[in-house]
Amino acid sequence: MEKHILIGGEAGAGIAKTTLLISEIFTNAGYYVFNYREYQSLIKGGFNFNVLKISDKPVYSHDNSYDVIFALNQDLIDRHEKDLKDDGFIIGDKNLKGKNMISIDVQAMLEKMGASKKLGNDILIGALAKIIGLPVEPVVKVVKGAFKKKIDLLEESIIEGYNCVEKKMELDNPDGKPKYFITGNEAISMGAIVSGMDMYIAYPITPATPVLHELASKQIEHDFMVVQPENEIAVACSALGASYAGANTMIGTSGAGFSLMAEALSLQGMSEIPLVVYLSQRTGPASGVPTYNSQGDLKFAVNIGHGEFVKVVVAPGDAKECFYRTIEAFHLASKYRVLVMILGDKHVGESNYSFDDFEEPKIKPNRFITEPCEDYKSYLITENGVSPRSVPGQSAVVRATSYEHNEYGHTTEESEEVIKMNDKRLKKFDDLKKEIIGLVPVYLHGQGKKLIVGWGSTKGAIVDALKNLPDFKFLQVSYISPFPAEEVKREIEDSDEVILIENNATGLLGDIIAEQTGKIINKKVLKYDGRPFTSEEIVEKVREAIK
Amino acid sequence: MKAEELNTGEKTTWCPGCTDFGILTSVKQAITNLVNDEKVKRENVVGVSGVGCFDKIYDYLNINFFHALHGRTLPTMFGIKLGNPELNVIGFGGDGSTYAEGMAHVVHSCRYNEDTTFLVFDNQRFSLTTGQATPVTEKGFAGPSTPLGVHEKPINPLVLTLTCGASFVARGFALDIPNLTKLIEAAMMHKGFSFVEILQPCISYNNTIQFLRDHIYKLENHDAGNYDEAMKKALEWNYCQDENSKIPTGIFYETNSPVYEDQWPQLKPWHNVERNPDFRKLLAEFKK
Repeated sequence: MEKHILIGGEAGAGIAKTTLLISEIFTNAGYYVFNYREYQSLIKGGFNFNVLKISDKPVYSHDNSYDVIFALNQDLIDRHEKDLKDDGFIIGDKNLKGKNMISIDVQAMLEKMGASKKLGNDILIGALAKIIGLPVEPVVKVVKGAFKKKIDLLEESIIEGYNCVEKKMELDNPDGKPKYFITGNEAISMGAIVSGMDMYIAYPITPATPVLHELASKQIEHDFMVVQPENEIAVACSALGASYAGANTMIGTSGAGFSLMAEALSLQGMSEIPLVVYLSQRTGPASGVPTYNSQGDLKFAVNIGHGEFVKVVVAPGDAKECFYRTIEAFHLASKYRVLVMILGDKHVGESNYSFDDFEEPKIKPNRFITEPCEDYKSYLITENGVSPRSVPGQSAVVRATSYEHNEYGHTTEESEEVIKMNDKRLKKFDDLKKEIIGLVPVYLHGQGKKLIVGWGSTKGAIVDALKNLPDFKFLQVSYISPFPAEEVKREIEDSDEVILIENNATGLLGDIIAEQTGKIINKKVLKYDGRPFTSEEIVEKVREAIK
Repeated sequence: MKAEELNTGEKTTWCPGCTDFGILTSVKQAITNLVNDEKVKRENVVGVSGVGCFDKIYDYLNINFFHALHGRTLPTMFGIKLGNPELNVIGFGGDGSTYAEGMAHVVHSCRYNEDTTFLVFDNQRFSLTTGQATPVTEKGFAGPSTPLGVHEKPINPLVLTLTCGASFVARGFALDIPNLTKLIEAAMMHKGFSFVEILQPCISYNNTIQFLRDHIYKLENHDAGNYDEAMKKALEWNYCQDENSKIPTGIFYETNSPVYEDQWPQLKPWHNVERNPDFRKLLAEFKK
């Protein structure tokens, strides 16, 4: 069973909150819900919508044909009436016009109850619940429970809405166990706290801002700091300062801010100060389409910063992966004194995913800070290239530097020392590669003989599409640097046919695969209109590609 | 402790006779005095530099040190203070890096008023890159990148920092080591953002030694608590080499104002914090 609901209207009409309430009604009853958000770069007016996919089985993506359109303005109907299924319905206020319209006289009902205008959406929620086939009690319970303060006439409004329409649909019974319902950005925030983060530094930018807000709201309770400096250059420089002083530090941004951070991220490479960066991609270049999605920064992340140095890039495919990959990011950054980038995007960051459970993370917080020994060398050359980390304030002088240096951290221009230090830094790649093999750098979904290759937020739509593509399996590449070349190469060689799927215009992972494995994937399904794939689109385009 | 203990033994690569040596001597003496007076702990002193001739001080001072990027001394200092508020952070910048590449940070560090000290080596030139004009170069200077002459008036860093809310503003002279030492000590002891401009003639690209010796005077009977007086004194020299220039040195302004760190009840030396977060409790709010 699957039900698809479109909820939309003008910005400021309470669409996000209404969507969360409806989602929660279903996840509380034990259904799996996926929520896709689309909004414009404005504050009031315009056109925003959310798409819910609801099922009694796990779902990870949305589709564009709807069982119900929950309309808060005429614009939504005008744009999306064509996407309504033949047996679907549009629910909305009586002044809205559309096919299969269930009109509700919201104004009259509010007046009759003497209720505030704000309760209009709750009347419509009640009506939706009845039409789609839910009992009323749990709906009232969930909606009431979602507000901290008691709201007069809330329950009455829901019931009034519920009673004014007829039941139109049947739902399969779910397992009854409430689900976790969480966005990628929320999961990254929680992952950071679980990693023992001390400091999050960021400048506001869509679509990374929700992490800034989420962490800021939790900083006192969980005893860490969230700081918003004057620009992204200051963000990255101050983060390196804080980490040098011993704080477990993460920064977050999107492409435009990431561009400004490039020089400081190169400084990370030379200074070897641990740093975690969350890069949430949006549609570029430049200011692009700022509230929409893209996977266009993959090679930018892998190549960020001038000079050659070790970088780790990990791309989570859903909210659960966001949580665990963030924990890995902190661990690897501290252990190897490297730059670790969590490469997300608007889609994985702002969509809500549902899960039965989260397993206890195997990795525990560790700063990898040691008491300095006598004759401490900040850049001691060791077998695996990792120098013991110490912090200022202890017995030894601790140095960090942007210039090439000797083991003590003093500036050098001598050719032998330049070579030695480059080798030391790059040596870290060897152990990192080994460690990453244990972190599931690639994952094979499905059992077909033909192969889809992708990464990051396309996972949801591809996994959901596999149900209708029985010949196909899906290789999800999660670690982009160090690149699991052997694993990817083997899978490509073992498959009858290979299709690359990416949410960008040129197939960036395809380039990296070619560079790392010598394998060139010619069949590509690419999308670069700022919108993520739906599973229906994947099925259609993959079938077209193999014709 | 003796000041010599702060030597590193690294070979100096400043020009022979560079006035930066005067600043190095003052910094070493100031830190030594404060350590000996038990006002700071040596292990808690952290230097921060950007990139320019001045940055070489990184290699000549045996203290914790972060040698950061061109123009980015200030945000790096800011981060270190947030990472461990017990550290005594002393930053070094040049007039080129500070007022050209990194100007935004100057405005904000003054505004934040974090408890750090910032010394600007001001020779009114980009010397390491062979003597181009900076934002503090005198009007009319014809240099390698500005053969037609600098058209703009120089900015006045003291007026700027006073305007932006710095709680300690001073000017020293690299060749007056005893007074510069006192200024640096006072700056490091001041609670809040301490800005010290150090006039530092470049013997290779802008040798203003004689001009400065002829026009510099020490502030006396000056009320450093009076903002308007400080501003008046700051405006006295326009950074050009006019015959009748009068260049005051000393502490222009010092006031107690809330420091950045005060707003954070949770701020502490983070590296000591033991953490054992309960992931299930944390995720409970998302179970709906």
